[in-house]
Amino acid sequence: MVGRSGHGGWRLREPSVLPGFSLAFGYTVLYLSLIVLLPMAALVVSAASAPLGQVLATLAEPRVLAALRLSFGAALLAASINAVFGLIVAWVLTRYDFPGRRVLDALIDLPFALPTAVSGIALVTVFAETGLVGQWLAGLGIRVAYTWAGVTVALVLIGIPFVVRTLQPALMALDPALEEAAASLGARRWQTFLRVTLPAITPALLTGFTLAFARGVGEYGSVIFIAGNLPMHTEIMPLLIIIKLEQFDYTGAAVLGLLMLVLSFVMLLVINLLQAWQRRRLGLVA
Amino acid sequence: MTAGAYHAQDEAAMSIQFEQVTKRYRGVPVVNGVTLEIRKGEFFVLLGPSGSGKSTLLRGVAGLTGIDHGRIALHGRDVTFLSPRERGVGFVFQHYALFRNMTVADNIEFALRIRNVPAVRRRERRRELLRLVALEGMDERLPSQLSGGQQQRVAVARALAHEPEVLLLDEPFGALDAKIRGELRRTVREVQRRLGTTTLLVTHDQEEAFSLADRIGVMHMGRLLETGQPQQLYRQPATRFVATFLGAANLLLGEATAPGVRLGRAVVYQARPARNDAVAGSEVVTVVRPEDIEVTRQRHALASSCMGEGVVAEAAFGGGGERLLVQVHAAANLQPATRQEPGLHPGLPSGACLLEVTRTAAESMALPLAAGDAVAVGLRRLHVLPTPVSSFLLRASTAQAVAALRQSPLVAQLAGSTQANLAEVIAAGQPAGAMFHGAGVVVVDNTDRTPADVAALLLHGARRLLCVPPAAALPRRVIIHCPDEALQAEAMGLVASLAGHINAEVSFVSVVPRGAPGAERAQALRRLLDTRAVVRASHGFDLRTEVLEGEAGEQLRSLASTPEPVLLAMSIGGDRREVETALARDVGWLFAPGTRSSLLLSYSGPRPAALAGVL
Repeated sequence: MVGRSGHGGWRLREPSVLPGFSLAFGYTVLYLSLIVLLPMAALVVSAASAPLGQVLATLAEPRVLAALRLSFGAALLAASINAVFGLIVAWVLTRYDFPGRRVLDALIDLPFALPTAVSGIALVTVFAETGLVGQWLAGLGIRVAYTWAGVTVALVLIGIPFVVRTLQPALMALDPALEEAAASLGARRWQTFLRVTLPAITPALLTGFTLAFARGVGEYGSVIFIAGNLPMHTEIMPLLIIIKLEQFDYTGAAVLGLLMLVLSFVMLLVINLLQAWQRRRLGLVA
Repeated sequence: MTAGAYHAQDEAAMSIQFEQVTKRYRGVPVVNGVTLEIRKGEFFVLLGPSGSGKSTLLRGVAGLTGIDHGRIALHGRDVTFLSPRERGVGFVFQHYALFRNMTVADNIEFALRIRNVPAVRRRERRRELLRLVALEGMDERLPSQLSGGQQQRVAVARALAHEPEVLLLDEPFGALDAKIRGELRRTVREVQRRLGTTTLLVTHDQEEAFSLADRIGVMHMGRLLETGQPQQLYRQPATRFVATFLGAANLLLGEATAPGVRLGRAVVYQARPARNDAVAGSEVVTVVRPEDIEVTRQRHALASSCMGEGVVAEAAFGGGGERLLVQVHAAANLQPATRQEPGLHPGLPSGACLLEVTRTAAESMALPLAAGDAVAVGLRRLHVLPTPVSSFLLRASTAQAVAALRQSPLVAQLAGSTQANLAEVIAAGQPAGAMFHGAGVVVVDNTDRTPADVAALLLHGARRLLCVPPAAALPRRVIIHCPDEALQAEAMGLVASLAGHINAEVSFVSVVPRGAPGAERAQALRRLLDTRAVVRASHGFDLRTEVLEGEAGEQLRSLASTPEPVLLAMSIGGDRREVETALARDVGWLFAPGTRSSLLLSYSGPRPAALAGVL
């Protein structure tokens, strides 16, 4: 069943032996409406019920601004760290065969499966000043637990599977002849990597980065244990929203929620557009 | 070419030199002792079926694949251990391998940018190259905006940007359709002519090889079987494989006679002797190209010598020409040299022989033929293969034992790869009289034999004898031992024809007595090296050489006591007593039950009395 045909009509990109466009599209709209759009709309509605003055006052609170900075800053930093080290991990897992590779590969998914609170508590025991790594770092004068660094560490942990899992297929699909061509043309290893390999996997890297970042912004469970939750210092946005809710300030919570929604949406949109442009450049989309 | 001529060649005139290059994957050689020299400015094509090792060899030149043994030199510079970056070659891949995130201009300038060439010169060179590959004005396109043929043109330009001494192309036209392939082929040939860059191209397409190459090297199972100019390889192949891989060929068994070659009932006269070692009466393999067969309605209308009469079994129109399948009657007694699989041609009367014939459009217009027409078949030209392996004769005392021989890994591999005829003889005890008149290679089981048995077989005409333990795995090494220099030429020919069909490495050993004077050792070494050069020149085949000290029997035995089975090749001569003594002394241990090594004997002693009377 192909929808309206003709110029500008809605239809399949390419004729397929499995049509059913109308049915599938109907379900898509219904599903997205129920699961995504409706709750978002509710959020907008409850935020909109607040007078504009109150909205602006909430947004201007120094505590809110600090939390915003921490949430987005730490998520951005964690996603960047993951982009670098996740690439190395994905590289090692796809390029080399070594004993224990499968075990290591399975380990990557662990942050997905573990309840976030459990990973939070585990991080605290390791990074607290009495912990395994924490006491060693304390000796160097570095505090991780109960600082912004702790927040970042928690976000790195929960973000790593996103980067590794999106990069792995891209690295596997990479034609080895590309690197061989670069080498035969005289490129050194780092030149080959920077000029040939990296551009080819950048779309996947961006996707992984985006997913890790998005997850980091909204993360709650694993962060609150290691963050210490000091207002103005180590308080993240999701926590602030919960605090508002506990104070029965539903409107305030909705305003903050909406703010996060808008910021996240804008950032994700920008990254997605960047990706689309990249893909067009690579000729992956006609 | 003699050994002397080989060494006298100017090293500097050589662009690519391979010396005994071997590459193994999991112990199995995929490139096996390849020695080859490619001249400056030459267009050389490596031709072979997939899996023959040709791409591995090419990648070895570029340094993309390391080699396990041997040496590769570019313009006299040993590059065996250099990284791809340092070799200064251009490489073109089958699937283009263009950098998709870069424009055509950036792709072509890649090598120059790496070398920090100023932008002005880069642009100049890029324009020049784009003109060369007929892609002017495409500078700012992305690879995704080009067709396959255009992408490969860009890849060729990119590979030439840094003015490499050598251009390597790995199946560059494999992914393109026929018309584009032809155009690109012409471009590549033209570019190569204009720049004079030494070019090495790998392909499995013989038509492509013919149209491009100055010289062709044919590879099979990791070995470089033959090299030569296209026409020479087509008209005078030395091996069965090359004869059938380059174009279509009818392989027929013939018999060497004083004036020429007998094919069935017909004798074809030849000015030159068929084969230097082919004694009158011995079996030879002849190559008859489909276009060298003449077909007429009546025997007397033939302009060439008549081979027999038959009927057209099949006629197929092929555009510029016509392909016929002619079934020659059993009365002509033609013997195909390749096994006719039962069931492949149902309804083929026993003794009849199928010949492939091609005719030009003019010929088929002058004499239209359809399936079922009676015809006379004439032979304009034939070529006799120098290979001593014409067919295999399996001999054992019971049908069961013969079947075991046939199924032994070595025999199965040789039969499958050569496609030679396998005859079977069930006979008990020692042969009486000249039993093996003219036979190719006689195969027996060595686990239930004695040196005396084997001596009897050799003296009754089984001059090429392969003794195989039926249960043993494929040999991974061939060891040649020729104590008598006068007999070695024939043994080398035999080994060269068989070793191309098994994945084994070949070494030639000489054993000198323990504590022999230096002069004797030096002489043994010199003989090994000379033999190596001669074998290389006449069989296109490379040997490893080794001088051992001690007793031959003991040394051979210790060489063979490796976990992988060994094929020991020996030349042997003399009368019955001498043969028996030599066998018992040098290889007596090979006849013990449970042995896993095979023995290949080449006998050059007096011919059996019964035969001497006949000839």
